[in-house]
Amino acid sequence: MKKLNTKTIVTVGMLSTIAYVLMLLNFPIPPFPSFLLIDFSDIPAMIAALVFGPAAGILVELIKNILDYLMKGSPTGVPVGHIANFAAGIIFILPTWFVYNKLKTKKGMTIALVTGTIVMSVLMSVLNYFVILPAYTFFLNAPAMSAPETRQLIVTAILPFNIIKGFLLSIVFMLIFSRLQSLIGKQNVYESI
Amino acid sequence: MMEKMIFGRYVPADSVIHRMDPRSKLLIVFLFVCIVFLANNNITYGILAVYTLIMMRLSKIPFRFLYAGLKPVFWLVVFTMLLHLFLTKEGQMLFELGPVKIYDEGLRKGIFISLRFFLLILVTSLLTLTTTPIEITDGLETLLKPLNKVKFPVHELAFMMSISLRFIPTLMQETDKIMKAQTARGVEFTSGPVKERIKAIIPLLIPLFVSSFKRAEELAIAMEARGYRGGEGRTKYRQLHWKPVDTVMLFLLGLITILLILFRT
Repeated sequence: MKKLNTKTIVTVGMLSTIAYVLMLLNFPIPPFPSFLLIDFSDIPAMIAALVFGPAAGILVELIKNILDYLMKGSPTGVPVGHIANFAAGIIFILPTWFVYNKLKTKKGMTIALVTGTIVMSVLMSVLNYFVILPAYTFFLNAPAMSAPETRQLIVTAILPFNIIKGFLLSIVFMLIFSRLQSLIGKQNVYESI
Repeated sequence: MMEKMIFGRYVPADSVIHRMDPRSKLLIVFLFVCIVFLANNNITYGILAVYTLIMMRLSKIPFRFLYAGLKPVFWLVVFTMLLHLFLTKEGQMLFELGPVKIYDEGLRKGIFISLRFFLLILVTSLLTLTTTPIEITDGLETLLKPLNKVKFPVHELAFMMSISLRFIPTLMQETDKIMKAQTARGVEFTSGPVKERIKAIIPLLIPLFVSSFKRAEELAIAMEARGYRGGEGRTKYRQLHWKPVDTVMLFLLGLITILLILFRT
């Protein structure tokens, strides 16, 4: 990573604030368990990635989660949920950024977001199976879930939830992206990371 | 409301723990989270519980603030405790009522596991209750310094975090203002089906992005005009002071770690 310039630092800071504020406006969607929350905080991170490069997007995700942990704490003491959110954020942003960067058109953005959603849902299911759910049961001291139980939870709740989340994020992002394109283009004139 | 956003969960008080250096507090919490898992019998759990109680007393934080952190998971912990109580079938039987049999091993496990959980939450809450987010940011910046070696932008991260913290109230205010402006135009944010609510978020986000890009631009120019040039050689307004009490507390936890290793079975 090259040295970050002042404008990048300040803008990434601001975008993290937006991400944090949007994270506060989260809501569950009815059929899914209440610990699966939808929020739009990945959108500022995505914009940061488009304007300043993928590292900026990762930083926005990181700062947003650290702030939320400092402000609210975590029900498990150890921030398992925040780490999961961070992981979900970056594996959604990075593939999307990568595909969009190859195509660079509005249609490319749609393809990129679809790729991002698919990669995110699949990888998050894998991560949940091997890391996140075991970590939750470990820190919450719930009796460990058996493998078929875990698999059932993932297939019936986590996988469809992440697909819906990615889908909603994609729609909102497309709507914003088409309106902000000129602004994002203008920022690009300056140096990026 | 605004004040709450800047300070997070911070509860001001005049106590030893409040005056400690954020660096030592971060180190202590990190070490504590690791050593909690060493405890496995009466003595070791007792040591940890006494330590946590002493820290709680020293912090002078009223118990209701700590309880607020426990509340969301209280019933879950009670539930897992009961599960252990009823499902563990080891050791001596203590109690029998029809099909329900309670063994002493189950009781012990249930209590230990809930205790460990409470201790973890209490100690991590103590950190955020006695330290302002900005202090934690400063602490993290110095503690993460070694990561500079692998080209991780530590100073920049801390700086972004403090900018972010500084602008939370501003942006909340602005969000509120935009929401009101859009509500006046007939947009509903809090009711209606999911589809409508998602549509409503667009006219909220766009002005928010536009104005923060503008604000960022102005701030960056102002900073550069004042000679900001990154982390190297930067002097600080808020300085961290490592005091004797920090060393003492760190040693105390070190001692407890040794005790835990000696007494665990």
